Amino acid sequence: MSEKFRGLSPAEFFHRNREIAGFSNPARALYQAVRELVENSLDATETHGILPFIDVEIRLHEERPEWVVLRVADNGIGIPLSEVPNVFGRVFYGSKYVVRQTRGVFGLGVKMAVLYAQMTTARPIYVKSSPINSRYVGEYLLYIDISRNIPHVQKMRIKKKTKNWHGTIVKLTLEGSWVQAKKRIEDYIRRTALISPYATIRYRSPDGELIFKRVSRELPQPPEIGKYHPRGVDVEVLKELIRATNNASEVTLLEFLVKHFEGVGEKKATEFLQWSGFSPDTKLTELKLADLEVLASKMKTFPGWRRPRPLTLSPLGADLLKKGVKSILKPEFVAAVTRPPSSYSGHAFIVEAAIAYGGEIPPQDTVMLLRFANKMPLLYDEGVDVSRKIIDSIDWSIYKVKLPAPVAVVTHVCSTKIPFKGVGKEAIADVPEVEHELEIAIRDVARRLRAYLSRMEKLYEVKRKEVTIRKYMGEVSSALAYIVNRDPEEINALIEELLKKELAKKEVRPDVVSES
Amino acid sequence: MSSQSPKGKVAAPSDSEVLAKLESLAKKLVEQMESGVPPYLVIPVRTMANTIWDRKRKLLVLGPKTARREFFDIGESKRFMQTVLMLSLIVQARREGDYPTIRELYYRGKRTIKYTDERGNKASEETWDDQRESNAVIQDIEVATGLLREHMGVTHDAKGRIVGNMIIRSKGDEIDLSKMGSGAWGIPSFVDKIEILRVEADYVLVVEKGAVFEKLNEEEFWKKNNCILVTGKGQPDRSTRRMVRRLWEEFGLPVYILTDGDSYGFYIYSVYRSGSISLSYESERLATPEARFLGVSPSDIERYELQGFTIKATERDLKRAKELMNYPWFKESKRWMEELELFLEKKEKVEIEAFAKHGLKYLSSEYIPKKIKNKQWII
Repeated sequence: MSEKFRGLSPAEFFHRNREIAGFSNPARALYQAVRELVENSLDATETHGILPFIDVEIRLHEERPEWVVLRVADNGIGIPLSEVPNVFGRVFYGSKYVVRQTRGVFGLGVKMAVLYAQMTTARPIYVKSSPINSRYVGEYLLYIDISRNIPHVQKMRIKKKTKNWHGTIVKLTLEGSWVQAKKRIEDYIRRTALISPYATIRYRSPDGELIFKRVSRELPQPPEIGKYHPRGVDVEVLKELIRATNNASEVTLLEFLVKHFEGVGEKKATEFLQWSGFSPDTKLTELKLADLEVLASKMKTFPGWRRPRPLTLSPLGADLLKKGVKSILKPEFVAAVTRPPSSYSGHAFIVEAAIAYGGEIPPQDTVMLLRFANKMPLLYDEGVDVSRKIIDSIDWSIYKVKLPAPVAVVTHVCSTKIPFKGVGKEAIADVPEVEHELEIAIRDVARRLRAYLSRMEKLYEVKRKEVTIRKYMGEVSSALAYIVNRDPEEINALIEELLKKELAKKEVRPDVVSES
Repeated sequence: MSSQSPKGKVAAPSDSEVLAKLESLAKKLVEQMESGVPPYLVIPVRTMANTIWDRKRKLLVLGPKTARREFFDIGESKRFMQTVLMLSLIVQARREGDYPTIRELYYRGKRTIKYTDERGNKASEETWDDQRESNAVIQDIEVATGLLREHMGVTHDAKGRIVGNMIIRSKGDEIDLSKMGSGAWGIPSFVDKIEILRVEADYVLVVEKGAVFEKLNEEEFWKKNNCILVTGKGQPDRSTRRMVRRLWEEFGLPVYILTDGDSYGFYIYSVYRSGSISLSYESERLATPEARFLGVSPSDIERYELQGFTIKATERDLKRAKELMNYPWFKESKRWMEELELFLEKKEKVEIEAFAKHGLKYLSSEYIPKKIKNKQWII
């Protein structure tokens, strides 16, 4: 990899171009650092069947008020002690270079945080980790040697475990504008709690402490490591796969396709090679760069591939999503849906959406939107996000929502490759397939909201009717009783009986607050 | 409704008839309930849309449209309650021989209902908030039963006055309306309970203003011109209109109306003649379709050289005049349309008192008698 930037190590490259990873200013950098650490912690827990407990702490530095000390602790699987320096001190090193849905994208986020901290405060990073099956706990203070892209360990201490703890604690000191970032960070934590209802998150900051207790002990199915879908490859991926193949001179193109790609058996591979004009017996080493380019473009355009399987994806599921929305937004009604898997350009994706109404949601002029991609909250650039576009194009009055209204829509896109807009990774582009699925999902939950609101309306109508009639019943009974010389009680009983019948005609079940 | 009342006789239905009609309304409601039907009243609609101009009889009459007022229709239930509440108040008054005013009925029925609202909060509401609401249900009961409120013994602040050569009997007393000195007899609420024993007059003169009536009475106009003099003191109440109607219908006297020369005056004439829209259901008993407008008309300003004694018409006057031009009885009259157009063109109004320019006796000795003699009225 490193020869791609001749004379410039990856660490150096990112050091110079830190805004690519979102470290453009002290406020954004602090927010980004929180994100990177929290997301690593979530990946280290839920993916491995552990109910996450994540403890985030932000303190202002005692001597330098423009410095912030950020500490994130988790109960994850921990990092093998021998790997700790590389995981935190070497750019492009990690466990994320496989086809699987993970939160981070490059696996360099945390290194960016380390680099940024180092640049702005010259303080090393503190890491304490204990792998789940290890008897040891390791503590490190380390730097990144920027020009050589290697970790530089300043201090290290390995101890025998005394408590049965496993997990990772990371502490950074960086220049960060807490005041400017605090709203975003709290928002981020809150939304993370929403999308991870099985996690307990403690957040301490100069403003006090927030605890989001888990509302479910059920973890979503973790994503499996999958293979590439043939439609999702490019020349670089092909080169990488060929490079990783042992004795490539022996392996034929047919074998290669069957071995490395999702949903490709002998039959499918043969069919494709016939269609694309490649000989199935070609050895991998015989393929020149030009051949690879043709192969990649043919693989992209072949119409016969199976759809990518979503095993590599880990949606939250409608139930968990509903629980998360309920616990964070505290609405009176919530509905959620998980769409069946779909794909765009060979990347599998799944869309989930929820709608929440009333309760503690404040009425707003537009529909409130909470966006997530691979269980990560997206906070910036809402205006250009595909979900916003869809919501703004919907005529909400057909769903009985009269703006301003206390209504929030949650969208979640999971994919092995989220089609982000630009480098910010905060907005999803309007890829037709994704947009289509999102719209179906949003309209689906909106329809359920409409059913609920209609029910409520009817209920309210019946209630209002009863209240109104009862209000005047006494006057009517006594007036009529006086005129026809009868006992008012008798007349009242007559009206009472008729009213019961009348209301029974309009009976609605009032006990449905949310639906399964 | 009656077509021809017997000359001068009491025209009101008996108390027992009235009571039976009112009670049957309530009985019907109880019967509905006993047969399992939520209670409802059928009430003829009293809106403009259901008011019909009867060309032949030259009257505004109520059309055939009725509305069901259901107690269980929450848009109607309050009005339903108010209607039966008012019905019981009127029935009570009839049973006990009382004659409440519409204001008294308003107070008798006004109370606070306490209830629990749909959110479980304690709340309260008045049976009615102002007299408009209670008056409206009295009118509903009138149209639903075909009885006038006067028949139900409901009085109002009667303000009409009458004087002239006629003798009436009211509550057993014979009253000679030519022996009132400087005064006049106040027309009571229940004109139909009066017997008109004798009338000696050539016509009825109705003047808009109380002050003009006083003046003409003081000048013994009715004696000198052998007429009955009436005033409704502005917008006439029902009993004044009923009295005028009886004199025309039962004694065949021509009726002349004298008002100020402005939109308000023209409208007063229109009420005497054809009824008001809100009371169209009783115009058959109250209106005098052949009433003649004597003056003051817009063309009189030039005819009697009253230029310079006029007042500038306001925007409201002009708007009102335009509305009048859409009333069928004005629309169908060439003379009226000319006068109204003249009014809109000149934008001038004139008061009756302006004739004082020609001397204080000019009105009674010149203007009125000559106009009648020369048939210079408008209809």
